[in-house]
Amino acid sequence: MRVWFFYLLGGVDVFFGVVPPGGAGQTVESAIARIVGVDLRLKIALVHPPFTANGTEPLSVSPQWHLIANTQLAQDPSMLAQSLGDSFRAIFDVAQKTGARACAAVASDLSSTTVDWISLLLRPVVDDQYDLVAPCYARHPFEGMINRAIVYPLVRALYGKQIRNPMGPDFGISSRLLQRVAGTQHGRLHTLPSLAAEAVTNGMALCQSHLGPRVYAPPDWSNLSSLLAQVLGPLFLDVERYAAHWQRARGSQAIQEFGQPMFVAAAESVVDVSRLIDSFQLGARNLQEVWGIILPPSTQVELRRMVRQSHADFRMPDVTWAHVVYDFALAHRLRTISRDQMLRALTPIYLGWVASYAMELEHASPEAAEDRLEKLCVVYEDTKSYFVSRWRWPDRFNP
Amino acid sequence: MWDQVGRTLNESTFSVLSRLASLLPGTIALMAAVLFAALVAWLAGLILRRFLRSLHFDERLEAWGFTSLAEFSPRQSPTLLVTRVVAWSIVLLGFALGLGAFDAALTSQLTMRLFDYLPNVFTAVVVLLAGSIVARYLARNVLIESVNMNLQYARLLSLGVKWLVMVCTIAMALDHLQIGSGIVHLAFGILFGGIVLALALAVGLGSKEMVSRSLERESTRAASDTEEPIRHL
Repeated sequence: MRVWFFYLLGGVDVFFGVVPPGGAGQTVESAIARIVGVDLRLKIALVHPPFTANGTEPLSVSPQWHLIANTQLAQDPSMLAQSLGDSFRAIFDVAQKTGARACAAVASDLSSTTVDWISLLLRPVVDDQYDLVAPCYARHPFEGMINRAIVYPLVRALYGKQIRNPMGPDFGISSRLLQRVAGTQHGRLHTLPSLAAEAVTNGMALCQSHLGPRVYAPPDWSNLSSLLAQVLGPLFLDVERYAAHWQRARGSQAIQEFGQPMFVAAAESVVDVSRLIDSFQLGARNLQEVWGIILPPSTQVELRRMVRQSHADFRMPDVTWAHVVYDFALAHRLRTISRDQMLRALTPIYLGWVASYAMELEHASPEAAEDRLEKLCVVYEDTKSYFVSRWRWPDRFNP
Repeated sequence: MWDQVGRTLNESTFSVLSRLASLLPGTIALMAAVLFAALVAWLAGLILRRFLRSLHFDERLEAWGFTSLAEFSPRQSPTLLVTRVVAWSIVLLGFALGLGAFDAALTSQLTMRLFDYLPNVFTAVVVLLAGSIVARYLARNVLIESVNMNLQYARLLSLGVKWLVMVCTIAMALDHLQIGSGIVHLAFGILFGGIVLALALAVGLGSKEMVSRSLERESTRAASDTEEPIRHL
């Protein structure tokens, strides 16, 4: 980005960046044409990937919008967390240099991005002085399982704030938080997962906006372990980085919400839990050696007990699951084995929990699913003392 | 005649006894050197053990990722392993010095050859150590990935990879030690080829189910994308 461009953008109020999955193209162009039709009575710079391979074809937009094409913005499905982190950092760097009051970054599929999203992500920052606006999506009970099973309950239990999607990926950010993120050395903070933790630990104001439904890419079963490693690696790094803060936090508080909460009805099709349970049992038969390094004996005994359950009676208690996640976070810090191997070894246990959850909620209403998630979060909060104790005295005998 | 026999016997007895007597100072010197070296080794071991324990050497080594070293160590303690290696090296050095008391020329030759050979031993130990660490890492990686891919023969694959690397490592170590190089090369070729063939057969026969599952998944991909209600992200 040339320096003269920053001067040109000097009068920009807010900065809006899009990093759509699947790269640039006609969809991005039509989505941006839709977005720039909105009148927010603010001067907005919109940074996007180029529409065409040979450069940008500028759309005719009203004077309140500036369009900037940036080739650095891209999502790589094989390195999702890394590519999103790099793209967000590129957006934040430019936004900070322009002196914008607020910045929003959207990484969801643009076909699900409505014009309301811009307002819901930016208005709380511009009008109400919030530092971070996290997203809330309308999801049916079996969507966003990594977030439901690990990310949301863990972040809520550790940092004490009920942020439904701490890893976004769509955020509204204040210039104050931008400065903090841009001020840190590249590589020290993982842009995407660290935003919520950085805001909470620095006493910044947080809120969340109900954005409605979000379109997802089709699941890639063969790549699940890699996905888990990409998501949990930065999350566990933050657990280590902010250890001094979360050890003091107790309980959790709700945060201000904007927009209307929405539910998506559960899909008609039945979840094939037998495949999930088989994966768990295969892991339990073969990965005892690896799990034995990470998990204390009581958890191993509990997992072995679950292997003997029939498919119909298969259940993983939330306490066991919470202990497993905490033990893996601790093993990540202690580097008992290679971090990548350790994170990938969690996959079968995670699938076991998903199977148990899916069986419990097979015909449940969205409200029942919410209650179930709340129950899990409470268990995470109740067992936090176990984690604090293991974190402080990892060598102490733990039966 | 009996006088001659008696004289010969006396001469041979005298000669044996005088040879034994000439060896006695050397033997005593050797014993003294070994005893002294053992004493120094014990002292050095004691100091080194205390020093390493004060540094939390075992825990640090584990934190640096050398977890497999503990499995080769006495009582699972790399501190003890290092201490014992140092102590026995001092005893060995004392023995080599003690040998000098017998025959200076022979001993210096022996010592020269011993010291010439030491780098080979050191390299072989390093190769073995590095090989075993790499073998364990790769075996664990293959095991985890195979389990995550739902392969029923995950353990077999992992074992195969581990032994492939170990056989290669042992052959390299023996080559460095210059022990039976011809036989080692031949045995290595046979073993390595055997393991690869066994793995190829095992994977080839076992992967039928994976290939069919993969084809089945591909053919129903469009349908399953809409039907599978679980989304991880």
